[in-house]
Amino acid sequence: MRVSGRLTGSPGPAARADPFRDLRALIETLPVPSAPPTYTQREAALGLALMDLSLRLEHVPRVAEHLTLIDRGHMTRSVSVDVDLHAIAATQRRRIMAPADAGRGTSLWIPVSRYSRSDLAPVVVKDSTGVVVPRFTQRDSNRVTAAAFVRLLSMLIDAHRDVTVRDTVVHKLRHTHQRSRWLIEAAIAELVTAGSLPETGIRTPFDYARVAPADGGPGREVDARAIRDLAFAGIEELWPLDTRLPFAHLLGLACSQFMLVVLLDSAHPRRFLRWDAPLLPAHRPRAPVQRFVQSVLPVNREFVVEYETAIPRSVGAYHLTVEVNEEVSVRRFVMSSDVDDDFVQTLTQDVEMLAEASAGQAPHRKLLELELQGIASRLAEIGRRRLTDLTNYRRYIAERHRSLAATAAGSRAEGMTSDEVVAALGRGDCSVPVLAAFAAHYSADGMRHLARSPLAGVALRPLAAGIRHHQLGHDITTDNDPREHGAHAHWRRPNLDLSPHSTEPVRAVAYLSLADEAPALIESITRVVAGLALVVLGIGTLLTGGVRWLYSAQIAPDSIPQQADAVVAVLLLVPGLLIARLDLPSTHSVLGQLRQFQRSLAIASVVVTTGLAIAAGAVHTDHAITRAFQAGVAVLGLILLCCLLEFVARRARRRSPVPRCARLPRWLSVAAGRPRRPRAPDAVFDARGEV
Amino acid sequence: MAVHTSRSSELARIAAEAAGADTSSVRLRLVHGPAGLAPDGLTRPLPAFDPPLHDLAQWPSDFWLFSVAGLAMAVCAWPTPATVFTEPFEVGAPQPTDRAETVAYDGFSVPIPGFLNEPNRRIDALLTLNSTHWAPSYRDCLVTGAVLAQICELAVERGHGPIVHLHTPVAPFVDQQVSARGDGSHERLRDAVGPCVRLSVAVNPHEPTARFDFEQGLVAIAEEYGLGLKLNDRRFNRVPGEWFSIRGFDRERYRQVRARMFPDTPMHLPKHAMIASVIGPARLGMAADVIARIRANGVGVLAAAVSSVRKVGFINLVLPMGEGADLGTPAWSGPWDDGVKLIAERCRSFDADGADHGDHGAFAGFKVALSQPMQCSYPQSSRRTGASVTGRVPYPLWLRWELPNRTVGSPLLLTMVRENLGLYAEHTEIAYAQARAGRGDVVRGRAKLVVLLAQPPRDVADAHAVLNEVAERVQERTLEQLSDMRLVGPGRVSLRLSPRERWLTT
Repeated sequence: MRVSGRLTGSPGPAARADPFRDLRALIETLPVPSAPPTYTQREAALGLALMDLSLRLEHVPRVAEHLTLIDRGHMTRSVSVDVDLHAIAATQRRRIMAPADAGRGTSLWIPVSRYSRSDLAPVVVKDSTGVVVPRFTQRDSNRVTAAAFVRLLSMLIDAHRDVTVRDTVVHKLRHTHQRSRWLIEAAIAELVTAGSLPETGIRTPFDYARVAPADGGPGREVDARAIRDLAFAGIEELWPLDTRLPFAHLLGLACSQFMLVVLLDSAHPRRFLRWDAPLLPAHRPRAPVQRFVQSVLPVNREFVVEYETAIPRSVGAYHLTVEVNEEVSVRRFVMSSDVDDDFVQTLTQDVEMLAEASAGQAPHRKLLELELQGIASRLAEIGRRRLTDLTNYRRYIAERHRSLAATAAGSRAEGMTSDEVVAALGRGDCSVPVLAAFAAHYSADGMRHLARSPLAGVALRPLAAGIRHHQLGHDITTDNDPREHGAHAHWRRPNLDLSPHSTEPVRAVAYLSLADEAPALIESITRVVAGLALVVLGIGTLLTGGVRWLYSAQIAPDSIPQQADAVVAVLLLVPGLLIARLDLPSTHSVLGQLRQFQRSLAIASVVVTTGLAIAAGAVHTDHAITRAFQAGVAVLGLILLCCLLEFVARRARRRSPVPRCARLPRWLSVAAGRPRRPRAPDAVFDARGEV
Repeated sequence: MAVHTSRSSELARIAAEAAGADTSSVRLRLVHGPAGLAPDGLTRPLPAFDPPLHDLAQWPSDFWLFSVAGLAMAVCAWPTPATVFTEPFEVGAPQPTDRAETVAYDGFSVPIPGFLNEPNRRIDALLTLNSTHWAPSYRDCLVTGAVLAQICELAVERGHGPIVHLHTPVAPFVDQQVSARGDGSHERLRDAVGPCVRLSVAVNPHEPTARFDFEQGLVAIAEEYGLGLKLNDRRFNRVPGEWFSIRGFDRERYRQVRARMFPDTPMHLPKHAMIASVIGPARLGMAADVIARIRANGVGVLAAAVSSVRKVGFINLVLPMGEGADLGTPAWSGPWDDGVKLIAERCRSFDADGADHGDHGAFAGFKVALSQPMQCSYPQSSRRTGASVTGRVPYPLWLRWELPNRTVGSPLLLTMVRENLGLYAEHTEIAYAQARAGRGDVVRGRAKLVVLLAQPPRDVADAHAVLNEVAERVQERTLEQLSDMRLVGPGRVSLRLSPRERWLTT
């Protein structure tokens, strides 16, 4: 059920595609240019400056997203950002300056976001006064991006150490065989303009052709084959496999995403911008058994939504607001980000390395001590951070339910000695209480001389496994919205960034659990079913002259109604009137999903009374009518029991301390006691392609 | 993944910086001369660049100065418009300057976007080559060359990372004694320079095995030569300037190895030395190749300063002139092959095998600038600091600053600080300074100044107090001057001068 590659630092689909594969395919198929491309230096400078600014977004200190769940499969998303032009250096400003209009001050092209190429809906950006802000067109954006890559290629060639060595590939590309260079440039421009080629299936015209192999010899230098071969050799020379990734990553982003670039007046350096992002469709993970159980059993169905997004690393504050139908309640809203994941990954790799090194020839004692002290101090810092998260989470769930408040208050752990802490870590127990105790002992100088402690030996491998297993690099932010049908999480970048040099966006997942809370449909259904049971009970009692028919197998004589029409009318009209008073929404809505089982109960109760009405009109023996009413009462009792079970399930779900979600860090579920198998969400919305 | 993303961001940033019409190439000026270079005089006469620098000359985007043993070198770099492409990197002929014995070499480089090292993890190491004051003999210079060659090779082969900085001699660091530790906020007085090598290697944070291999290799070298070794204290919340001792200096071992390796080399101080700057597009292994080749020619290293400026690698070596070498040779610049022959001719002090190990293509594009021979002078310093004996020893002061680019140039700022220190010091010298314009168009710089106090302190405690007071006064005075000059707005200057290196980050 866990969607691999998310929140674990692994690349998303856009990054996984190899742009060099596409580049080669295009070099193979594009016509060989006979003249260089005509990009100006200004276009190249603008393109590179926009690319640089859009990757870091250091001029965007705050981002807020407002999500509205419109039905079970779609979500609208409104994004607002604060822009601070002071964060852009003067030299950069000169490159992104738009040609000035007469009588107006200077304006700057500013990238405010990147979004996936698959989202082609128009985006209208407005400022705080509601005025529409001019946007860079996608065509212009493509052109300057292509110019940027062509310029970058030219820089890489000029800086190559073979550029002055005759008869080398790079020298040929630069000085004597320029058509191959133009071909690479044309391929890059085509890739940036048209986007990535399909991953599978038909990719290029060569998939339809059977081209005969060249017969011997390299051929003439003016042949297309020789030009293409030199272009391939140039790619290999300029980007050897071990140093290719940064360029490939840039190219991959350029051909899978568009930049959202707006024109802002430099006289107003601090601006507020807002736009409605394209409608976000949901992905529904496959979980047939779970879906069936939710539909047919009284388990108090929740509608679970996961929202994935990426926050630029430089953003200081991020707000996520969710709004749903007023009749739906937000039961839990928790957000988790991987802000410390890079730091924890490095820590884990250090522990694993030390475990491996210790297994062989013992390292120098002081070197070992330094490594262990470095590991211990970082582990203590992570322990402190996660303890703060856990405390905030406990406060949040305590506010949700009184019983949870008691649980949170009663979860005070018994103190651990330093030996117990080290022993627990050596077993791979990296739960937050253990790490918190470790942090306490570390700060109390209880962890000196670690090279001689049990932590130095075989304990390292389980410790690394424990750190990995508990996903300690993921933080938690909880809901602070008082509304029942809304939620808000405020994520702040930690004061001390543990990965200060990283520009990798922070990946965040919001878990939203929606439920039908009191006054819920199940309460009305229960009343309806109880009412219908009473009606059936009353009619049966009146027909048989007592209540013995309920528990006795004996058949009372003269049970056939004298006026069957009247009984039929009551059995048809009363349920109809009652059910008409219920609000049974469309199954396509979230509310409809939440009330699916309740709707089944209501329909089942009407089916029972309708069946009894048919029996009353069509059956003419005392035995049959008595048995029909007995069966009807039994089924209604069963439905009533389901209603009661639904209440019990709702109570249990409300008291659940931790959501059963695979996307929340394991340290959270471990801290709540017995971890339970996670459930698949009902809808996953992925906005990670947009930064 | 974070590494790739951050490196692609770095690539985009380098390319964006170099893409503007006015910043598409790098102009460089390298200056060799006797110590005491006035930082603000480095651009006199103005470099003969086309197009000319004019006012830009005051504000180099990068500035680097290194001064030792009475010799000094400085580098300034300016992003400028491109000219017609001929070579990726060029260095002009030596030009005389307004100052005696001082020559300047003007250079040119294309932007070099391929040398990426973000977000690498820095491993700092401090190797101690002797426990006495810095007075290296010819034999010590050869040992230093051998050690440098080995650690540079180690960084490439085991650490798989480039050397970000390498300096020798540097201020030694002496651990606090347990009895005098206090709360750890103080540290013992440090000599301004000592027989130590300090290096910083950038390693991939996700390759801990390479890092640990490199550190183990360092330990092995230290054990082989009897050197002291300290690594940067990498406990969380520790700052640069805090060291973790791995092993202490073993004098007997060092002497044995020195005598075994170079039994016939003289044991007296070199009287003359020259600066050899090897310059070229920065790449992994540049320092290792260059130092190994120079060492293979039997040349010792008196002092070294290795770093990069705008992705142009600089390996500056102060090489002792061989005994009997011609002291009248002029400054020279040219290609690597000719340069290394001249170095061997002038500075050979040991009959090495001359083995030419290594790939000749590795040196493609490298240029060499050689200064004329200059007289050496060595600082008077005691075994530790000497404060308890005479107090008349040079002390180090560390400086850090951040200024908006093109407001107050780093050379001017350093001159101001030096002049302000002149009120309290008999002699002030900038031992090391490096500044570069970076993120947010802000120039960030660090420097180490060496001061000989005018009023010799009575004892160690007095020296601590006086140095603190002097640093604080000079800091405030410089900030006042910057404010009075109105060149930079209030609140946009950050300047810290301290007798303790680690206090710069607080």
